Amino acid sequence: MTSYALFLGCTIPARQPSYELSARKALAKLGIELVDLANMTCCAPPPVRSVDLESSLAVAAYNICLAEEADLNLVTLCNGCFESLAMANAMLKADRKLRAKINRILSRAGKEFVGSKEVKHYPRVLINDIGLKRLKQNVSKPLSNLKVAAFYGCHALRPSALLKLDDPERPHVLENLIEALGAKSVEYRNKLKCCGGLLRGYSDELALDLAREKLANTTKAGADCIATLCPFCFVALDIGQIQVKSKFNETYDMPVLHYSELLALALGIDPKELALETHKIKTDKIINKIS
Amino acid sequence: MKPGKPEKTTSLAFSNLVVSRLGGETITLCYQCGTCASSCPVAKITERFNPREVIKLSLLGEKDEVISGDAIWLCCSCYNCQERCPQKVEIGDVIYALRNIAFKEGYIPDVYSKFASAILNDGRIVQVSKFVENKRPALGLPPLQPTGIDALRKILSATGFDKLQKKKEETP
Amino acid sequence: MEEAKVGVFLSDCGNKISEILDFNALANYVKNVSGVVVVKRNSEFWRGEGLQTIVDTVKSGKINRVVVAECLPKLSEVKIVQAVEKAGLNPYLVEVIDLKDHCAWPHRKTPSEATEKAKAMLLAAIERAKLLEPIEKLEFPAVKSALIIGGGIAGIQTAVDLADLSFKVNLVEKAPFLGGLAARAGRFFPTDDCAICIQSPTSDVKTITHTSRKCVYRSGFSEIPDLNILTNSKVVAVEGVPGNYKVTIEKKPRYVNELKCVRCDLCTAVCPVKVPDEYNAKLKTRKAIYMNVPNVHPPVYVIDESVCRFHDCAKCVEVCPTDAIELDQKSERITLNVGSIIVATGFQEFDSNVIKEYHYGDYPDVITNLELARMVDGFGPTGGVIVRPSNRKPAKKIVMIQCVGSRDRRYNAYCSSICCMVSLKHAALIKSAYPGADITICYIDIRTTGREHEDYYERAREMGVKFVKGRPTEISRDPETGKLIVDVEDALLKRFLELEADLVVLAPAMVPAEGTKELAEILGLELDKDGFFKEYNAKLRPTETRLRGIYLCGGATFPKDAPTTSLHAHSAAIKAAKLLTTGKIVKDQRTAVVNEEYCGDCEFCPVTCPYGAISLVPTTEEHFVARVSDLLCEGCGVCVGTCPLNAIELRHSRPNQMLAQMKALMSVNGTPKPLVLAICCSECGHTAVDSSGMAMMQYPANVRVMKVPCTGILQVHQFLEAFRAGAQGVMVVGCKSDGCHYEVGVEKAEKKVQLARVLLKEYGIEPERLAMFNMVFIEGDKFAEAAQMMTERLEKLGPLQLMGGS
Repeated sequence: MTSYALFLGCTIPARQPSYELSARKALAKLGIELVDLANMTCCAPPPVRSVDLESSLAVAAYNICLAEEADLNLVTLCNGCFESLAMANAMLKADRKLRAKINRILSRAGKEFVGSKEVKHYPRVLINDIGLKRLKQNVSKPLSNLKVAAFYGCHALRPSALLKLDDPERPHVLENLIEALGAKSVEYRNKLKCCGGLLRGYSDELALDLAREKLANTTKAGADCIATLCPFCFVALDIGQIQVKSKFNETYDMPVLHYSELLALALGIDPKELALETHKIKTDKIINKIS
Repeated sequence: MKPGKPEKTTSLAFSNLVVSRLGGETITLCYQCGTCASSCPVAKITERFNPREVIKLSLLGEKDEVISGDAIWLCCSCYNCQERCPQKVEIGDVIYALRNIAFKEGYIPDVYSKFASAILNDGRIVQVSKFVENKRPALGLPPLQPTGIDALRKILSATGFDKLQKKKEETP
Repeated sequence: MEEAKVGVFLSDCGNKISEILDFNALANYVKNVSGVVVVKRNSEFWRGEGLQTIVDTVKSGKINRVVVAECLPKLSEVKIVQAVEKAGLNPYLVEVIDLKDHCAWPHRKTPSEATEKAKAMLLAAIERAKLLEPIEKLEFPAVKSALIIGGGIAGIQTAVDLADLSFKVNLVEKAPFLGGLAARAGRFFPTDDCAICIQSPTSDVKTITHTSRKCVYRSGFSEIPDLNILTNSKVVAVEGVPGNYKVTIEKKPRYVNELKCVRCDLCTAVCPVKVPDEYNAKLKTRKAIYMNVPNVHPPVYVIDESVCRFHDCAKCVEVCPTDAIELDQKSERITLNVGSIIVATGFQEFDSNVIKEYHYGDYPDVITNLELARMVDGFGPTGGVIVRPSNRKPAKKIVMIQCVGSRDRRYNAYCSSICCMVSLKHAALIKSAYPGADITICYIDIRTTGREHEDYYERAREMGVKFVKGRPTEISRDPETGKLIVDVEDALLKRFLELEADLVVLAPAMVPAEGTKELAEILGLELDKDGFFKEYNAKLRPTETRLRGIYLCGGATFPKDAPTTSLHAHSAAIKAAKLLTTGKIVKDQRTAVVNEEYCGDCEFCPVTCPYGAISLVPTTEEHFVARVSDLLCEGCGVCVGTCPLNAIELRHSRPNQMLAQMKALMSVNGTPKPLVLAICCSECGHTAVDSSGMAMMQYPANVRVMKVPCTGILQVHQFLEAFRAGAQGVMVVGCKSDGCHYEVGVEKAEKKVQLARVLLKEYGIEPERLAMFNMVFIEGDKFAEAAQMMTERLEKLGPLQLMGGS
């Protein structure tokens, strides 16, 4: 049984119980043990990086130290957490001077970054530790007839030199994972373009413009739903969809699901156990389509 | 002719400042090809932000315009520019470095100062309210582990992050 | 060795320096040095009556060593040495020193100190002269034949030059036909004339000598006597030395007899195998038996053995009217004996596949400049019509993208220098044939630096070619119309454009030709950081390499246009010929020699020698010794400095000679300051001393200069010996760290200085007494400053207390 230290982040426990539930249940069913470590903090994502890069590196490194001490690799559910932690891990492993500098800061909290562990985003764990073949075998309720628009979100892939999740121009990990569930992955225009999530709060106007483009393109391609890997992207396209409706007077009715939710459903987990009612755009028609 | 020491003109001083900051080291590699601009989803929908222009202004030494303006806060951090740049300029990180300089000098958008306060107070940028936390058992979720707020505060005091916040409260 | 009888000739440089230096005192001093039998004075000794005096003295038999104090030894020494040789004395028994720039001028304010220093300098020259030994001139055979690797535009031009100089020329080309990249280009800029001539040089006997100076097609190239063209051939091994290389060529079978083929084309008609034609950018197919275009050299078909069915088919054999097709041909190994080798392997287009956002290889309508050239070429696969490869319909809207993989730190950081002109050429040619064509060039910068290139750019603008300053981020394709969309910011307009295109043409970087790495290994050549062959010195020796006898030309060193390639080719031909014109290579034996009794099987020197001049030779079952090739040795002495057993010495700079000089230079002070020995390399260090004197920069006379071929010759113990000889401080003056004229010498010297400093500290001597300085010829001021600084440092440290006294 493979074990990982789960890095939950801030947004998921605060706002998206459906994401947490689906991830925990699906991974458990597939034989991945998720360990909750004590004393983790915010990963220090872009909002914190904007204040001070060095601080956010140090905070990210601190969290990695906890995993190093527990001798576990880290798995993330949020693109932001993945980018923040994986970037810090890669930068500190490669740059001796930077590592020394950050360790001087970490020593105040009694920690030292060694660089002994990996940070993986959960799709990678599914591909590497389970494998598509075994994943397919575990699917008891294939999502046939479901057309899914794969949306990686920016920070699952970029900056690719540090994250190394997949090819940044021609990724296929998420599409393969979707098809392993029996669903069909549909191609749509500007698939890898940002959803605008991080602009929410500073410039809702621009954020909604980008969200709308994503919703329009996926709708045009005939998708039934969008699959995301990040709670920020989820918010941008789920709650954002309602805001897009009121700003642009356009209704999309495009449910947005976390990939882990689709996974959980395909593995036969009862939709009622997944708190899907917390989605602003109702997922009922998806549940109906796949049952 | 003996090579002399470069003078501290305005333009050199600001680009030197950016180069000396973590994340900003590669800014001088830019040769203004514009790949970043056409890669940028935000630049395509508003004139208020264009990564090529931000870098150009910085290299020309227009410090005030760059750090007091709202352009640098409009980057959506998608890193498409950094991915495609033929000079390997770490554009996304350069924007962070510029934001860091802006923050240090007191040009702080409200939403970001709220994030900064949140992380110092709670160790989280988004707090889990007691109400939400209490719902967890019913949903079938394990209890939340405690947040390492003490360690975090020590770290953020070591980097001077906490003083950055204080500065904002001082400036009107 | 016979007893040394030294003649000392003191020139006061036309009376100029006799106001500073007391020549009477110098003459008297020198007379009393043991071994000196003749002392003469004059205003100059390097020509006229003075030179005759030296000649007469030598001829008289009174002296067998010559020491001359003369101005500008770097000029005068040559004359003196020539005259001495003519007079019958071995020319290497001469020592010339510079009392003007090394003594009188820099110390003119302290004439008595200068005179004392001059005494020391003369003593050093005399002591060294006494220890000099005659050096022989060796002759090595030079075969008047050359090997040119690469049959493109550069190789062909070099071949013609050398053949004209009556050399036997072997031109080896790995493709089945000559021509290389340029031939496929169609036309050359800026004159827009035919490039295809390059692959079809033939003879039109009536006009050879008169009108074909501008045309390779009618140049009679292939009829040049003693021009051995080997196509389908590669160099697989090279042995030997300059002037006498043995080269092994592997010639792949053509399967068609070159002497029998009459080019009737009946074979291609019956061949059942069709494959995409790579030469024509896969815009058409060819058969297994093929010729690239009708006008090629050699004008003989070739069979592609990777797709031919051979005896399972053999239809071509049946129809060939002259029985020229020989399906059982085998590879041949051919050995050539040549005197020089010229590398003319050119370059190729970078594979744009890796820049995924441009979809090259993915979208058929995204092509490269070379592929477009095939369409523009009237002989090409589309007959000169520009079409979309996807559907063969005419391409009306064309977008060109510059700097694809060039000026790109992810792939090739350099500018490929010719692509702007290539794209402009294509744009102009297309516009002149199709004035209605819509062509836009997306650029970062337009570089038109050559002669008439700016005019070309202007003409393109006049013809209506559009320009967008911006590098596109990606090319996408409209799923419905199939049209390409180029996403670019026009930085000048500050506007985002989505340019629609039928055809997108990429201008990829120009990178080293395939097989460059392997060839470099076979020849022992260096590659630069971009993988191109490295020339020895970009400024002065652009077509030479570190290895004498091997030359470079054309695009093999860096992408270049046709005119520059011609220049390069002609230069390489001259260099290659120079070596061999007299049929022998004459070289003096100022080389390194191994004392085989001491040589200890360690392998340090062969590895260190920058010229590959040292090889290991087995003497018994388990023992081997180093042996130096007098032909390859450049006389730098880096091996000497490397040997841990002092088993190798430079004939003309032996350790005993160096020690004698050190002792002599330190024997007379005459100043109140501490004595400093400045050991200067003959390339940059010593010349910097020259220039400081020429500019009359002042430094104190306690600084004494000793010349060595390269600072790399120095051993750690020699620094310690310098202190024992009386130096209070030692300066080591060499070339700049990345500019050692013997490649590795100065960096070796730096390491030894560091080690010596550690030892000095152990001995209780302040390590700052030994210091290394790097400078070039024109930095005379740096030398003067360093000398001054060293003197002040030593004055502060106080006199040196050596243990056990000395």
